[in-house]
Amino acid sequence: MSNNFFEIKNVDFKVGNKVKVKNVSFSIEKEGDIICLLGPSGIGKTTILRTIAGLEKIDKGSIKLDGKTLSSEKINIEPENRNVSLAFQENSLFPHYTVKKNILLGSERNKGNKKKQLNIEELIDLLDISQILNKYPHEISAGEAQRASLARSLITKPDLLLLDEPLSNVDQSFKEEIQEKLKKILTNLKITTIIVTHDSYEAFYLGSKCGIILNQELKQFDDPYNVYHLPNSVEVVNFLNRGILIPAEVTSPKSLESKDLGTITGNFVKPFPIGSNVKLLIQPEDLQHDDKSNLKLHVVDRKFRGTNFIYTLRASSNTLIPVFVHSHHIHQHEIDEKFGIKRPIHIDHIVCF
Amino acid sequence: MKFNSWFFSSFLISFIVLIPVITVFASFFESTSNYYEILKNTFLFEYISNSLILLLSVLLLTFVIGTGAAYLVSFYKFPGSEFFKWSLILSFAVPPYIYAYSLTAFFENYGTAFTILKSLLGDTNYNKNIPKFDGMFGAILSLSFSLYAYVYILARASFLYQSQNLIDLGKNLGFSRFKSFYKVILPAARPAIVAGLSLVAMETLAEFGAVDFFSINTLTTGIYNSWIYFDDLAFANRISFFLLLFIFSLFILENLSRKKAKYHLNSKGGFKQKEKIKLFGFDAYLAFVFCFFIFFVSFLFPLCQMLYWTVKFPENLFDLQITNLVLNTLYLVTLSSLVLIIFSLISNYGNRVSNNKTLNLLSTLSISGYAIPGVILAIAFITFIAWFDDSIVKLLGFSSIKKLFIGSIFGLVLVYFIRFYSLAFNGIKSGYEKMNISVDESAYLLGYSKRKTFTNIHIPFLRNSLLFIIILISLEIIRELPITLILRPFNFETFATTAYISASEDLLEAAAVPSLFLILIASLFIIVTSKYILRENNE
Repeated sequence: MSNNFFEIKNVDFKVGNKVKVKNVSFSIEKEGDIICLLGPSGIGKTTILRTIAGLEKIDKGSIKLDGKTLSSEKINIEPENRNVSLAFQENSLFPHYTVKKNILLGSERNKGNKKKQLNIEELIDLLDISQILNKYPHEISAGEAQRASLARSLITKPDLLLLDEPLSNVDQSFKEEIQEKLKKILTNLKITTIIVTHDSYEAFYLGSKCGIILNQELKQFDDPYNVYHLPNSVEVVNFLNRGILIPAEVTSPKSLESKDLGTITGNFVKPFPIGSNVKLLIQPEDLQHDDKSNLKLHVVDRKFRGTNFIYTLRASSNTLIPVFVHSHHIHQHEIDEKFGIKRPIHIDHIVCF
Repeated sequence: MKFNSWFFSSFLISFIVLIPVITVFASFFESTSNYYEILKNTFLFEYISNSLILLLSVLLLTFVIGTGAAYLVSFYKFPGSEFFKWSLILSFAVPPYIYAYSLTAFFENYGTAFTILKSLLGDTNYNKNIPKFDGMFGAILSLSFSLYAYVYILARASFLYQSQNLIDLGKNLGFSRFKSFYKVILPAARPAIVAGLSLVAMETLAEFGAVDFFSINTLTTGIYNSWIYFDDLAFANRISFFLLLFIFSLFILENLSRKKAKYHLNSKGGFKQKEKIKLFGFDAYLAFVFCFFIFFVSFLFPLCQMLYWTVKFPENLFDLQITNLVLNTLYLVTLSSLVLIIFSLISNYGNRVSNNKTLNLLSTLSISGYAIPGVILAIAFITFIAWFDDSIVKLLGFSSIKKLFIGSIFGLVLVYFIRFYSLAFNGIKSGYEKMNISVDESAYLLGYSKRKTFTNIHIPFLRNSLLFIIILISLEIIRELPITLILRPFNFETFATTAYISASEDLLEAAAVPSLFLILIASLFIIVTSKYILRENNE
């Protein structure tokens, strides 16, 4: 018997009769852990949350929380009896009550259980919603509504908190601040949380584990570092869009040869027989700029991203390769200019498919 | 699919509301008599042709009046435009039968027009110079000026949301004001106008009081007469069948066009309302005259006529037992509103939580009660109770239940319930449509049971809608004639039945007092709700 705090085992997540994500299994080891589910829009992430909350039923597998079965083929505990809180992506505040009343309704859930109570003032301050407390949902912005909804979910101090794209409507300038506050509050209160998002940076920051959902499957469930650096499939690489796959040949247990980049050394994450043709993952930070290098590629595009530039370079085989360069770098390369790549190329984790 | 007590309650309510329709259809198919011959050889052709002439003429007039007035007050600013915006819906306070009494009272020989001319121009015989608005023409006018507000309200709402940008588009394409109207604005508002006209059509086909007063034989009066004068329920049901088929076609048309209208409403976010165009000089004068003419003819004229007669024949005021009539009206209004609101709430909530296709279909069918003329409803109800009493109650050895349902307040309220169920159901439904289903789910996730969600979240949210629905139901019940006339207990009168009885005895002066009270009370309800009606349409 497993000791996981939360566990999903072999569940098909469905809306009506339509399977959205099939045969999903993952777990949250300790109470208070935060995990994130990543995936493109419409893939079924929300369905997973709704099912965990009890709003959809399952006919295969099981969902357990703290040793108790919430859903299975035979058992379905009603949403109101789960103490699982779901903050919806869209505004689900009660439209006829003020923000304050909405939040207070949340606090009614655990009335009498002082251990479960959360300091409402602290929460209001943390989420910066003191200005909108006496307003009605239609009088506030989408971002404010999301924060108010989050406050209402948090105030119940649920056994499991489910957040559906909690910051999708929050201004970019405010997003990082809220992310920090949210992480702090969830960690301090030890609220076990599952966050659904399509923003990989948000997922990597907030989650101790990340699940990638693609093509009706949970493709990878791992630490954010591993998900980013050690993606387990081409689909995950393509979804994260943080690198490209170039053809290469394995020449030794620690090296490959690429027509475009020459010899590349490093440690293979998964061993391949010598001589096999593979697709090698090149991420922008894997290559370094060096004007003196004799490996020159053509600049076809340059994107300014504040702290760095991302150069898109064309190799001899017409493959487009991204490279990061610090934005305080001494000079910039214009389009069509030549761009040197430092050799020898060494990549710590060689990911091939 | 969730089968629970909410599902079964909703199912039962919808089924009860559908009973009269089932009864009419069942009576038709069960019969083996040679009714085709009877119909062909008697009045069927006259019934149908009169109904059609009346319908088409009223549709044409209400289209011109309703759309014209809506266009003017939606797009232009002119003297009185703010006043006309809401006062043009006051015509709802004057039921067609009271309009008919006013029309006759004013234009008849030695009527009010005669008196005015005599006092202004001296004593001579003006009767031959005064036009007579009776018969079919009188019925068309009475219905049109009483019902045009359906088209006005829906067209106005549509103009306000859809066409503000379209005017700019028209200008951009180099269209004149008139060309913009018929090429751009009118087509965009078509679904709303069709929806309004469908309501007018249903009301016209269901109209009893005015056509009966003008002695026009339509399908509706045919049903009433075959029951009252020939005591032939089966024959009445057969005519009802034809009328129902016709009305259901309109009902489907109305539903289809409403779906389209909803589509337009969804896109309103993309349209910004702009300042209305200010009219000057002759244009402003023309717009004022058009709107004032409609307001005067539809509301002030019948009001003044009834007021004039009440003042002229004050003895009628004292003969009338006003306290009794007010109490009776209040009694019916309170009881019916209560029943309608409670059951419509249960039914709506059942539909919401069950999310069951069969139940949705049954609910959609059951709201067709509003499209069924009051006369048919009342007669179908009597037919059903008679059948139920004869075949089931007696079979089980119980004593007759006819008295409980026919000629009783209970029966009357039950039929009101069927007739106005769609009003309450749809009103609550549109309130619910503004509440995302995730609100319910949030409540469950906060630990609320279904019942607690209903009482603590939904009812407070729907409070304003419920108030509005109660006022609308009250307005309908105050004006309602045929059901009350057929099913009311002995000696139980309302303002509407008192006016009808006096008018049918050719005592129009006596009909004036209850008619005046009816108009005043109905106006009060309309004034209270007018802002809500206009706001409901997202102004």
